[in-house]
Amino acid sequence: MTSITLSGVNKSFGANFPVIRDVDLEIADGEFCVFLGPSGCGKSTLLRMVAGLEMAYSGQIRIGDRVVDKVEPADRQVAMVFQNYALYPHMSVYENMAFGLRQAKTPKDEIDRRVKEAARILQIEPLLDRMPKALSGGQRQRVAIGRAIVRQPKVFLFDEPLSNLDAALRVHMRSEIATLHRNFPAASMIYVTHDQTEAMALADKIVLLHAGKDMLKHGSIAQVGKPLDLYHRPRNLFVAGFLGSPTMNFIAATFIGQETAGAHVALKGGEELLVPVDGSKLAAGAPVTLGVRPEHLAPVPGPAGQTLTRKVSAVEHFGEYSFVYLDGGTPAPLIAKVPGDGGVKAGDTASYQAPADCCHLFDADGIALTQI
Amino acid sequence: MASSPATRVAGRIAVPVLGLFWLAVTTVPFLFMVMTTFKTQEESYSSSVWALPESLNFVNYADVLSGPFLTYLKNSVMVVAISVVLIVLISAMAAYAFARIRFRFNEALFGLIVAGMIVPIHITLVPIYLMTREIGLYDSPFALIGPYVATSLPISVFILTEFMRQIPKELEEAARLDGCGPFTIFFKIFFPLSGPGLSTIAIYNAIMLWNEFIFAYVLTSSTSTRTLPLAIWDYQGQYTSNIPAILAVVTLTSLPLVVAYAFGQEKIVKGMMAGSVKG
Ligand SMILES: Nc1ncnc2c1ncn2[C@@H]1O[C@H](COP(=O)(O)OP(=O)(O)O)[C@@H](O)[C@H]1O
Ligand SMILES: [Mg+2]
Repeated sequence: MTSITLSGVNKSFGANFPVIRDVDLEIADGEFCVFLGPSGCGKSTLLRMVAGLEMAYSGQIRIGDRVVDKVEPADRQVAMVFQNYALYPHMSVYENMAFGLRQAKTPKDEIDRRVKEAARILQIEPLLDRMPKALSGGQRQRVAIGRAIVRQPKVFLFDEPLSNLDAALRVHMRSEIATLHRNFPAASMIYVTHDQTEAMALADKIVLLHAGKDMLKHGSIAQVGKPLDLYHRPRNLFVAGFLGSPTMNFIAATFIGQETAGAHVALKGGEELLVPVDGSKLAAGAPVTLGVRPEHLAPVPGPAGQTLTRKVSAVEHFGEYSFVYLDGGTPAPLIAKVPGDGGVKAGDTASYQAPADCCHLFDADGIALTQI
Repeated sequence: MASSPATRVAGRIAVPVLGLFWLAVTTVPFLFMVMTTFKTQEESYSSSVWALPESLNFVNYADVLSGPFLTYLKNSVMVVAISVVLIVLISAMAAYAFARIRFRFNEALFGLIVAGMIVPIHITLVPIYLMTREIGLYDSPFALIGPYVATSLPISVFILTEFMRQIPKELEEAARLDGCGPFTIFFKIFFPLSGPGLSTIAIYNAIMLWNEFIFAYVLTSSTSTRTLPLAIWDYQGQYTSNIPAILAVVTLTSLPLVVAYAFGQEKIVKGMMAGSVKG
């Protein structure tokens, strides 16, 4: 049983600097959970609380059946991989991995067996005698992971482990971490990142965190769910805008009325659309925000009432696809991500279909209306 | 700062010239001293002070070494070695606490210790003399260790605290996750990683204490308890007019530092730089 449960967790640095607010979270046995959010939103702090490196908080954290609020980091059966690796510079790779086991008075041959086993898994056997400064970034990363593996923890904690690597290596190590998770199915993993691609690629469950004012107003957690849940059913404007690249298009609109098929809205640009959500609680004339992802805007005329016609302000070509910038978003221009060269140029007027089941509607508080 | 070709050329010339000048300033007196030790007493009077010795004459060294010189040497080595070990150990532990442990009076205490650097040691002489008499350590080489350690601690703690603040916090946290308590973290992580800082402290204090005169003069009085800087003083009385013999004492006194420097030059320079250049 290595589920992790956070109940009513709050943390501030000093009296008036809240960082984490009202976190209730359950991470299941063997689950790969990613804490995602903008920089400074408290992801690392939350992770460090699970590790026991930040002890002063209110609320309760349980690992398995045990309440760990007063348990020392070393006794929580967790292992952590730091962003800057934090390898001991004065110890060889072997000693770095063996250090924790030596502290735990593990028998020598057992240490040797575990270190060699981890080295084999991570393919760093030839490096065991090297010092950390003689390693490349990717190799250091492996050693840091190796140091975590040898301790056979119940929970692996990763704090932005890939952000110091170059882009190509990052993709490679990402798949290795996924493999690692498959190789240790019993251990739960918590992985902190600000990179949505990493989160989408790795997570069983994403915990998206609010920062600043949103955190104060709604609590730290913006949404918890499977990656595609967050992508297809964002709970509010923040989640909708955070996931996806380029970000979701937002268009100011007015609620006209509810029909059985969905909410009828009038866009600022003049069009009227039907969005399949439940807007029955809204009054006619209420301001709403329509959201539609760039990749869902199709360059084919759709049925009447689902088509946006706008002036093209710019086009960016990437070969496989193009970004077409359109006038009339809120506040940024609209973007359509279309295959090939898009077939339009700046100054043209173009029409794009916004399929009904890809449209989102948010009320004046930024909360998504339930999809029907 | 942008530098024009002209200033760069000037720099390329000025730096070696200044270097050579400084080399002359520091080595000429030393060479002069060593040269003079090979002269006899009469020779030092009769010929020009700049003249080379007539022969390589070790009579002054033989003379000095047949006296109590080795006793002074033994006392110096003992006092300096014990003091430096204590200084390094105590200041490293204090620095770790100041750099990494959050406690209520951390900053106040650190400020107080650093303020100790501005206390001139001379105003402490009389109280220390009286206390030393009181506890019965007067005229023992061990009387020197207390004042030596105490007066060296402020600067040592100051340097090492700055040094340890540079050690990444994550290393300490990794060690905590690996099961280390504060003492293990200190001895297994911070102490070894402070190597360059510790050698700075050790070298700096060893040189200062090797040459220390005033406490040794006040707290010891017998030949058998005194240290090398006092040997020079004693010999000055003994050989009033025998300048080559006095210089032989000075040469022998500085020899250990010169030898240590010759062998450990690279380490010493690295240690001295350690505070200024981030690892
Ligand atoms: N030890 C600390 N003392 C004071 N403020 C801190 C401390 N650690 C983090 N913070 C602040 O808490 C906020 C969250 O930090 P962090 O958890 O590191 O964010 P993230 O990892 O999401 O980028 C930041 O505003 C940061 O400045
Ligand atoms: Mg962080």
